[in-house]
Amino acid sequence: MFATIARLMVKRIFTAIPILFVVSALLFCILRILPVDPAAMSLPPNATVQEVEAMRREMGLDRPLYDQYSIWLGKLLHGDIGRSIHFRQDVTSLIGSTLPATIELAVIAMVVATVFGLAGGLLLFYVRGTRAEAVMDFASILLLSLPEFLWSLFLLLIFGVFFEVLPFTGRLSPGFERPVVTGFLLLDSLITGKFSSFFNALEHMILPCLALGIALSPSLMRVLRSSLMDAYQDDYIHQARLRGLSEARILIRHALKNAILPTLSLMGVQFGFLFGGTLLVEIIYSYPGMGNLMVDAIRNADLPIIQGAGLTYCVAVLVISIIVDSLYLILNPKLRAR
Amino acid sequence: MSNPILAAQGLSVESLGGKERFPVLTDLNFTLQPGKILGLVGESGAGKSMIGRTISQYLPNGFAVTQGTLKFDGEDLVTMPAGRRRQLLGREIAFIPQEPLSGLNPVLSVGQQMKEHLLRIGLAPGEHWRERALKEFDAVHLPHGAGLLDKYPHQLSGGMCQRILIAMAFASRPRLLIADEPTTALDVTIQARIVKLIAEMQKRDGTAVIFITHDLRLASQISDEIMVLYAGRPAEIGPAKALFSAPAHPYTRCLQLANPTITGERRGLFILPERMPGLRVLKDLKGCRFASRCPNAVEACTLAEPPFASIGANHIAACIRPEATPDIVPPPAVAAREIEAGKMHLSGEKVTKAYTTNWSPFAKRGTFKAVSNVDFTLGEGEFVGIVGESGSGKSSLARLVVGLDTPTSGKISLAGRDVTANNAPDRAYRRDNIQMVFQDPQSALNPRRRIGSIVTQANEATGLNNSTRERMDRAAELLKEIGLPPDAASRFPSQLSGGQKQRVNIARALCTLPKILVADEIVSGLDVSVQAQLLDLLLKLRDEHGFSMLFISHDLSVVRYLCDRVLVMYRGEVVESGRTETVFAAPQHPYTRSLLAAVPPDDVMTEWSPVLAEAGYQID
Repeated sequence: MFATIARLMVKRIFTAIPILFVVSALLFCILRILPVDPAAMSLPPNATVQEVEAMRREMGLDRPLYDQYSIWLGKLLHGDIGRSIHFRQDVTSLIGSTLPATIELAVIAMVVATVFGLAGGLLLFYVRGTRAEAVMDFASILLLSLPEFLWSLFLLLIFGVFFEVLPFTGRLSPGFERPVVTGFLLLDSLITGKFSSFFNALEHMILPCLALGIALSPSLMRVLRSSLMDAYQDDYIHQARLRGLSEARILIRHALKNAILPTLSLMGVQFGFLFGGTLLVEIIYSYPGMGNLMVDAIRNADLPIIQGAGLTYCVAVLVISIIVDSLYLILNPKLRAR
Repeated sequence: MSNPILAAQGLSVESLGGKERFPVLTDLNFTLQPGKILGLVGESGAGKSMIGRTISQYLPNGFAVTQGTLKFDGEDLVTMPAGRRRQLLGREIAFIPQEPLSGLNPVLSVGQQMKEHLLRIGLAPGEHWRERALKEFDAVHLPHGAGLLDKYPHQLSGGMCQRILIAMAFASRPRLLIADEPTTALDVTIQARIVKLIAEMQKRDGTAVIFITHDLRLASQISDEIMVLYAGRPAEIGPAKALFSAPAHPYTRCLQLANPTITGERRGLFILPERMPGLRVLKDLKGCRFASRCPNAVEACTLAEPPFASIGANHIAACIRPEATPDIVPPPAVAAREIEAGKMHLSGEKVTKAYTTNWSPFAKRGTFKAVSNVDFTLGEGEFVGIVGESGSGKSSLARLVVGLDTPTSGKISLAGRDVTANNAPDRAYRRDNIQMVFQDPQSALNPRRRIGSIVTQANEATGLNNSTRERMDRAAELLKEIGLPPDAASRFPSQLSGGQKQRVNIARALCTLPKILVADEIVSGLDVSVQAQLLDLLLKLRDEHGFSMLFISHDLSVVRYLCDRVLVMYRGEVVESGRTETVFAAPQHPYTRSLLAAVPPDDVMTEWSPVLAEAGYQID
């Protein structure tokens, strides 16, 4: 099994290279077509035309597009995505400081979505054929139709403003120490033993993660419910009953193991979307992640950051899909070599 | 006599859900003694499987036992608490399913499933589940048991999966076993071995068995007693040998005569008209349920439900005129055709189809010959059968003939033209001359199209006679020919029965009057009565249109009835060919002999010895 997974990973990493190449070319071209002039933007507003021209030459903007691209790509391969025009900082360090925050947010939100999705799916399945089914069905569709920014606002108003039980801005309250080891705040505060920081950071995560998780869970619930229903049509479930196994065992060990597969593919897709989807939630909760960085970059037409963030997004999606496919191999023996 | 292990008294099951209430099983009375085998026989929908489901009390939604008792060793299975019943299931009462491949969970290994079951039924002190599992596998003659535990169901053949399920069922030394069509999904040779295995295990443990099958011949070979069910009510119950050699109920007799023979004189098939009445209709029926299809029915039959008449020792039949039953005789056989050597429609010379296996770092790239150096001919108006086990290359050959695949080497000629290359003009030429009838009408007919449009689909390809008016006219002609009412044209496939769908499937192939039909297992999975109707339909249509046919089947008796010549295939090669009667009467090749020996004999007194272990000719 491990050999199969290793083989899959090697294969996927090789196919990822051309994908990244195409994405980088697309990003580069599209952003060059935009009617913004990075040379003018990086100079003070009172700069003369000559100064702008000199800057253009210095930045290489007078050269043909493919030349510009090959220079950019060459630097990219050495880990240099350029400097932010607006923040006057290396893009790598900007992304390096915001990406962990977003990963933390996305991972915990996904855990919340999974817990709610599995529990809700099992509940929906459990009440099938009863009167509660209509109610649950209605509720799940209602949940499905509410987007994550509405949840963010609801939760913020209820728990943050009205009851005042949870913080709703940033990652940490003032006065708490911020340890930096890996950039992942929760992890770092645990490693360095700063438990008060850890719990404070965790409190800050609750509302945004709930908002994202709740918004993602209804589709998981519905997919799990329908794949459980499919599994229960299968012969092996009937056979398990005829062998006298308990219903709980049949559900958990026999049906769920099969029904989890379609749910897992949906989770993979959702997790990919989550990286772009944290944007609104980050703004609402002033959370210093990639989403906020992206918004600032777009507002200021900060091309290097947009390029860097775009590439980061692409890499993240590729990594997630490799992980999901490996999980699929572990859970579905039919995909493994004979 | 000892206490029966299973006794049904006045047992009735009804459907209560939905708008109307209707009976599913009516007034069932039988007893099963320990160590005996009861065969349950009947067409689909007769209620055979419902008996198994009543025993487990896992009835479909809305179904319930409304009367009577079903006692297992003195305890009523219907009224006992669910917890007590669940204790019995898998320990005292075991089941073997119809579809071995789907009976095992696809994401759990064989070992995991075996372990789960063994731990539930309990191991001897100090015994490891692994040793025990291997011991049980040995008992069902499963090879190399140790590696098997780590395998998953999709890596195994149907026969192996069925052996595993049998090992599981007998692991607890159950007192009652219900085998629901355990061999229907398997090859003939494997069917024979599985049936013998169940009998062997049954003898070892003294288990009582309910053996459900639609094959009366098979049931009479394995069972001590047979119950023939018709529309939820027993038609005849009796000792297996007595019942099979002298059936007293017309239905039993008709079923027997609807099945083609494998030895002796070829005879015609008795065609049971129509199909079994739906269970909803029965509610209002006053007389005998079989009366509408019975050749012996008189007016009295439609007035009251017939009581059981005693025929012999423990032998009863629900018929008011059982003495007239032997008068039902089959029509005469259709003579096989001789074809002159010059009039060949289709011929193949050294046809080979080889596949290259996928590259992998752990195995060498190899070639696998699905079809190897096959010579064949098909004359005008001739029916040629191709027989063999799954994997023998029958279907691969059919695909080459119709042009779905291109041969690696060799030559295929169609009505004088070389079509081996299978290029665009070849395909157009093939389209006009060959049509294929597919195995599974359920998936071969587009569920969203109406029958009238399905049967005239071929006109879309040619563009000729393709107006709605012309197509509807042609559809009406075709439906008449295949014996469906004209209003079927406006229906959807889901509104037809399995047999009707297969008729539509045949009509579609015949639409543009091709010279050749290629039929891949088109009667397998159908009831014998429907099978007989279809076989006769094919013969009738041949008389009218003069087409010839390549008929692929694993059922040797069907081939013997229908085909003029036969090709026997084994691992991609033709090992024997010739006139059907000659080949079946005096098979030359050992493989042909073992195929023939695997079919249960027509005469119940003949000893069935299917395991002709001739070296080198065993698959599975």
